[in-house]
Amino acid sequence: MTRRVVIVPCSGIGKSYGTVAREGAYVVTEDLRPDTTQLVPLSLLVLGDEQARADVSGAQAITIDGCKLACATKMVAESGGTVAHDLAVLDVYRRHRDLKPSGIAELNEGGQRLAQALAEEVVSLVDALSTADSLPLSQSDGGRAGDGGQDA
Amino acid sequence: MSEEMLKLTIDKFTFRVPKGLYFNDAGAWVRLEGSVARLGLSDFAQQRSGDMAFAEVKPVETLLKPGDEFASVETIKVNVILPSPVTGAIAEINTALEDAPELINQDPYGKGWLVVVELTDWDSDKTKLLDADAYYALIKVQAEEEVKKS
Repeated sequence: MTRRVVIVPCSGIGKSYGTVAREGAYVVTEDLRPDTTQLVPLSLLVLGDEQARADVSGAQAITIDGCKLACATKMVAESGGTVAHDLAVLDVYRRHRDLKPSGIAELNEGGQRLAQALAEEVVSLVDALSTADSLPLSQSDGGRAGDGGQDA
Repeated sequence: MSEEMLKLTIDKFTFRVPKGLYFNDAGAWVRLEGSVARLGLSDFAQQRSGDMAFAEVKPVETLLKPGDEFASVETIKVNVILPSPVTGAIAEINTALEDAPELINQDPYGKGWLVVVELTDWDSDKTKLLDADAYYALIKVQAEEEVKKS
């Protein structure tokens, strides 16, 4: 049984800040904390995918929103998950003004570095959640799912 | 602050224009408060610009004439330099924006104000500004054009 923190980023379609959210989530779930995190694509939650909803339901989630609409945070709450932390890319950018993101399909260097900075912030939150004894973390098998949906 | 509002709804967006304020065509608003004027960014301009990342204003005692930069904002979409709508010296700046530039999005005519200017040529400045009705007409055209493009 693997204890995982669910990471739900903005779908990242069409806007640089959304892409930073998604890329940052990939860095966390694939490179930095693959054993303790699980990526759940927002697009699947929006579409009502049963497995995605099951992964989120009852789990501790960290959401990463690309804009103030906060779709990721709202969808996790609607899906029965617990939003342990909600991060906004804009807030991370305010802490790293030299990393101005641009580009959508492919981020500029500033955007890539911002995604890395975002990932490091997420990791510190993941570590705190993962070491807490009483948290009902997701018990499903992780693995990166596709993220081919639309912006929610 | 209770001011009578004009409301323009285009597509899914609603833009508020308070009666009694003056505007330049860049979207800076002017509220007269005795011998000073409080300036800010209009609801239309802030919505069009997007979520604020940073807001910077010129320091106190900066002398302004119409067209001079008095503030700049960086949003998730654009960088905007705001030209002054009035003549005078900056007497006060909204320091809350340093930590919370989102106040411009949340409350553009209230807590999101930018600067207060000690006016020196209001009678002349006023003739170059738009009243609420004229600004409403201007943004209506601009908003409709943007909807057509999208």
